[in-house]
Amino acid sequence: MSGPSLESRGSGPAIECLGVSAGYNGNLVLRHISFQITEPAIYVVLGPNGAGKTTLLRTLSGILEPYEGTIRIDGKTLDRSSAGTRVHYLSHVDGIPDGLRVREALNFYALVERAGPSDVERVLDLLEIRPLAEQYVSQLSAGQRKRVSIARVFLRERAIYLLDEPTGNLDPKVAREIRALVLNLSRERVVLYSSHNLYEAREIGRYVMAIRNGQIALFGRIDDLRSSHFVVGIRTLEPSNALAELPQQGDYYLKELPGPESVPDLLRTLESQGVRIREVREMGNPLEELFADAPEELPGA
Amino acid sequence: MRRAMNSEAAPSLLGVTLRRSFTTGRFFLGYGSAISVVLGVSLALSPGSAFASTFPFLLPIFVVVGSMGAMVVFTNDRIKGVLEYLLAYGYSPRRLFVTFLLTALALSAVVLSVAVAAGLGVYLIRGHQFTTQFATLLVLYAIPMSIASSAFAATVGMLWTSLSSPRAGMNSPIGLIPLIGILPCLVTLFLLTTLAAAGIFSPAELLLIAAGVVGAVVLIVVALLSTLGRFLRRERLLSPA
Repeated sequence: MSGPSLESRGSGPAIECLGVSAGYNGNLVLRHISFQITEPAIYVVLGPNGAGKTTLLRTLSGILEPYEGTIRIDGKTLDRSSAGTRVHYLSHVDGIPDGLRVREALNFYALVERAGPSDVERVLDLLEIRPLAEQYVSQLSAGQRKRVSIARVFLRERAIYLLDEPTGNLDPKVAREIRALVLNLSRERVVLYSSHNLYEAREIGRYVMAIRNGQIALFGRIDDLRSSHFVVGIRTLEPSNALAELPQQGDYYLKELPGPESVPDLLRTLESQGVRIREVREMGNPLEELFADAPEELPGA
Repeated sequence: MRRAMNSEAAPSLLGVTLRRSFTTGRFFLGYGSAISVVLGVSLALSPGSAFASTFPFLLPIFVVVGSMGAMVVFTNDRIKGVLEYLLAYGYSPRRLFVTFLLTALALSAVVLSVAVAAGLGVYLIRGHQFTTQFATLLVLYAIPMSIASSAFAATVGMLWTSLSSPRAGMNSPIGLIPLIGILPCLVTLFLLTTLAAAGIFSPAELLLIAAGVVGAVVLIVVALLSTLGRFLRRERLLSPA
């Protein structure tokens, strides 16, 4: 095994990618990617635009044929004709047929996925789109279309879910509901979840796979990531001379610490100086560094 | 949990694609049918044999236009990511291609039937005879050229998706394909008109030339179909978004 792998809890890897290169019209986008996924969880696929996130999901779903390398799903070499019976794929574009009402569109998906009318009724309620059922898809807002698009991955259960920016174009409330559904799914399923939203990634992901220039720059547990700079923001109830020399960001005074373990000491110190603290929070997100240009060697890579 | 079996074949999408083509492509279907009916009835009502001698040569143009609903659905599905979704669920590019090709042929059969029934009906009601010459023109040119040109347009539009994509400055949801589709019919018309004016060939010879052009279009379509494996790559069916 040449690439990063995760400890197995199951009987065999759900996804095994060995030296896979893929792209479009002969142009390489993914370069010799290798990894293995066994544990049910959300694996957030991160990377800048053009890094190869969508290409990776398209290749794993069987849409694109790898130029080289092997993909195994549940130990079997990926068969494009039957990949859809093991894997759910949600594209970053809606994928909703034109000229149909919402219920008709879901019936179209149900036909493709061999689901029944009762499944359509179930997802209408699950995604709270029943009020839209008789509306034409062309009349829906971008967010409503996204919900309809997401509804189809809940028509039938699959072992593996490949979700390409599933919360794009959604308002915060709906995005939160979708994340809750995906989190629920991930208890028993492998979910690869591509996102540009680093905070969303940190909120729901257990693992992160960062892709840069078509290669895996990092694959590991999100909890194990540490920022090279751990900065906390301190918000006070009233202005404090003790913090006056610290740089500010909005209402927060910024203080760099060696790590999270130093926070209790900081709190004690501030208390002893009479600072009335309203809130202390970590500023920044270690995942941001995955997008930064500087570090070529990322933690865990 | 309901587990899907690997042996499950992806169900046919021909019926739903046809239904969607009827609704989404209703402008083209209505336009092709209406113009061909108006043309047929007008010619049938006019004195002399204008209907029998002209209608079969003009009909394929409008049949091709009427079949464009299949291309509208194909192009929309490609751009909106529906084809990408279908590829992920086990549909091969070849199978998707055949579905849209059959849909285009079914739409052309609808326009063809409506136009011939209306035009010929009025022509016969007016007391004209259903001549052997007219039947020969229908069988050797109008019907096969309509089908072949519709197949040509659909095949070119799916193999070279840039030709069936919307273009800036062009008010067509399927780009250049309607123009490309009617090209064989227009070339035949031009050729026959020129040769008839020159007076070199007899009407029977001109009919054979027309049938020869139909044969050439059929050969081109067959040649294109034989290159499916090489040219119909999965990348071409993905959304450009």
